[in-house]
Amino acid sequence: MKTIRKIILVLLVLTSLLFAQKANIEGWVKDTHNSPLVGANVILLNTDLGAATNLKGYFKIPSVPLGKYKTKISSIGYEPVTKDIELTSSGIKLSITLREISVEFDPVIVTASKYSQKISDLPVSASIIPSKTFSEKNFTRLDRALRYVSGVYVTTDQISIRGSSGYSRGAGTRVITAIDGIPIYTGDTGEIIWELVPLSDIESVEIIKGASSSVYGSSSMGGAINVITKKNSLSPVTLIKSYIGFYDKPYYSIWDWSGERRSFNGQTIAHSNRIGKLGYSVSLSRLENKSYRLNDWLKRLTGYLKLNYDFGKYGNLTFLSIGMNQVHGTFNFWRDIWHALEPPADDIGETVKAERYLFGLKYTTKINKHFDLHLIGSFYRNLWYDQSESNNNSASNLVRNEIRSVYKSGNGLKIIFGTELTLGKVRSNIFSDRTSQSTGFYGQAEYRFPFPLTATVGVRYDRGSLDTLKNYDALSPRLGFNYKLSKTLVLRTSIAKGFRAPTLAEAFTSTRTSGIRVKPNPNLKTETNYSWEFGVRKTFSNLLLIDAAVFQSEYYDMIEPGIDPKDGEVYFDNITHARIQGFETSAKFEYKPLNISLNVGYTYLWARNVKLNKALKYRPRHLAVASLTYSPSFFEFGADFRYMSRFEEIDHELVDLGLVKNGEIRSHVFVLDLRAGASLYKIGIPLSAYLNLNNALNYNYVEMIGNVSPIRNISLNLEFLF
Amino acid sequence: MKLKIFTFILLLIILSSCDHGIAPPAALPTVEPGFSGKVTFVGQWPDSVVQTYVVLFKNPLLDSLDFNIQNLRFVSVPIPKGSREFLFSTKDKNNVLSNVEPGHYAYLAVAQQLKALSFNRKDWFVAAVYYPDGDSTKAGEFTLPENTFLENVNILCDFNHPPVQPPGGKP
Repeated sequence: MKTIRKIILVLLVLTSLLFAQKANIEGWVKDTHNSPLVGANVILLNTDLGAATNLKGYFKIPSVPLGKYKTKISSIGYEPVTKDIELTSSGIKLSITLREISVEFDPVIVTASKYSQKISDLPVSASIIPSKTFSEKNFTRLDRALRYVSGVYVTTDQISIRGSSGYSRGAGTRVITAIDGIPIYTGDTGEIIWELVPLSDIESVEIIKGASSSVYGSSSMGGAINVITKKNSLSPVTLIKSYIGFYDKPYYSIWDWSGERRSFNGQTIAHSNRIGKLGYSVSLSRLENKSYRLNDWLKRLTGYLKLNYDFGKYGNLTFLSIGMNQVHGTFNFWRDIWHALEPPADDIGETVKAERYLFGLKYTTKINKHFDLHLIGSFYRNLWYDQSESNNNSASNLVRNEIRSVYKSGNGLKIIFGTELTLGKVRSNIFSDRTSQSTGFYGQAEYRFPFPLTATVGVRYDRGSLDTLKNYDALSPRLGFNYKLSKTLVLRTSIAKGFRAPTLAEAFTSTRTSGIRVKPNPNLKTETNYSWEFGVRKTFSNLLLIDAAVFQSEYYDMIEPGIDPKDGEVYFDNITHARIQGFETSAKFEYKPLNISLNVGYTYLWARNVKLNKALKYRPRHLAVASLTYSPSFFEFGADFRYMSRFEEIDHELVDLGLVKNGEIRSHVFVLDLRAGASLYKIGIPLSAYLNLNNALNYNYVEMIGNVSPIRNISLNLEFLF
Repeated sequence: MKLKIFTFILLLIILSSCDHGIAPPAALPTVEPGFSGKVTFVGQWPDSVVQTYVVLFKNPLLDSLDFNIQNLRFVSVPIPKGSREFLFSTKDKNNVLSNVEPGHYAYLAVAQQLKALSFNRKDWFVAAVYYPDGDSTKAGEFTLPENTFLENVNILCDFNHPPVQPPGGKP
């Protein structure tokens, strides 16, 4: 009996000792205005322990073994703080103040070379869209936000950086777009599905301007866009977002086909947390838009899941999954200028249904202190069918695998090398049953000299086949220099060769829609470009950043849609030689004491068919953007303006043939958006609210012939974060 | 100061945009523009003909390259071989092409295709042209006034007396 008592006593003492050897680390994280910081990460370095701050800026890391730790406290937009602490049995309470930094002036991006670099260190031009933009401006698609980036414009849904693309009816892209490095061009049409991007889960969007084929291969000869998703939260965070809005009545009563203000609305619920070493983020969004145009309605459901498992020293595994179901009416062209918001009578009632699924798996590990290894696999499935006269339908699968390694010598040398394999399969009544495959090998070295010069040299070799088309080979080299004349003045230059293989849609489409016949061109060749740019970047006392660049691209065998004069059918063909020249200037001004920021950008473009000395279709001569934000306390007021000059060349043939009545009517583009809102997180209320008045001047314009862009609309966006 | 100048320029740009962009013309056409008429055939139909159409070109056929689909504004439904009379109208939904707006057109004619699925000038023969008000000096010319649907645009196709051929035809 005595023995049992002794054992119990010893166990009790041991247990109490064990409990005594752990304590809590808690505290508050605030900014320099003494406002609590929500979602700041507090991590104990070299451990798996950490937490995120709540709405009051409070965090707690429970049951931490006693000892000495190095803590890192970080939040986007603030300078991270590292603090040495000694945890005793009584626990520890911390009070951390983070100082705001001008991240926008020199943010770190990963898209240019597939590893982290400061924008000021790049040999090419780059821009970034921060996460908050999507909440504040209530964008419903990524491309809506890209329209406000200097040097970028979008023709309906076709993105162009510095004039690289015109309008190719949803076939192909010259700007690769990816989510966390996983490209999202489809296996059949090769287009970017903007709706797939989960806007509430975006951390930032990185935009590289200029040929990027040396790293990304085909479809990046005009640039690259990478959507960086948010990291999974260390503590439970739930977001509920809801917005509602309506379009104003058309400016001209003759266009008022409905007699009412058409509405749109959307909801998102998202949650993120970590269970042990498994972090997860999940969101579900729905959108309904009745549209300002007849037969242009839209219903969309999007699901997003991101899982991340931390194997500690063995690496990190991330699973990404996005699914989307969408049905919308068909609006290809207006009936005529008197019925600009109505399609031809024959198109009314036609719909398109689409299901799209993207699955990605990324494994990253550190082999040793010099080498990182990245294994990336993705599967992208697209299904769509319409109810047009041709009953167009397509099912495509695209499998992509990449192995990449990054070597960092520690004395200024960084080398990246990798290989990529892509396999595509399509079943369709307009493309027929087709297969495609491509293999790429790439390598790039960056060397930082002892003096402030950084040189980058890279090359990529691609070989691929597109069903019955002739196999293609492409070598895409790049050479770039970045020279820092001083801490605030940086010169950069790069020269690169890019290429793009035709997509299945460009080579094999055979269909008829809205009276337009499209025919295949089995002789379509790969297009190539040689481009260079020279840029300068100057900052003035963290107040003002000015960036300017001149650029030129020579395109050979450029693939553009046109009309065969022999039969009036649309087809894609290789234009012999095109040249795009121009310059881009942008300025960013931030004056924190008054909470004012101003961004302006201007781009001049001269894109022409050299043989015909004629402007390329759907390329403007002038682009300008301006954005002014005033954010006193937790309020925010802003105005965004963009201008695009009238396209000199359009698809005149479609007009001449009567397929797009009055299609020649177009104008300059002037769009002014206004917004006002409040982010109450700063005062501990889990709510933000933004009112957006888009196209406030109710300016009527077309980005593509016969398609009036969104008329004036107003929306209220509410977000609860807890 | 610079900020003020910029704001002023920005306001100027914004104000200059107050024209509201593209706009519909003031009046909605009350009549759908177009024309109709009759082709009367005289003589024997050639055996070599594959298809026959009433065609309307916007610009003059000065070169064989002008004989292209982008220059066409109207192509009727095919005229049955051996017809003695044929009524055509731009309102006919079965027309091959109909994109007629008010204005002046260079060449209204009856054209015969000598080879299927070819739009090469050499594979076409012009069997007749329209003479406005019987004026032989204005062969093929046609004007459609605003807000008008023109009737009785009649063409006489005499296989025994074909008109002067535009450039590029079969020698």
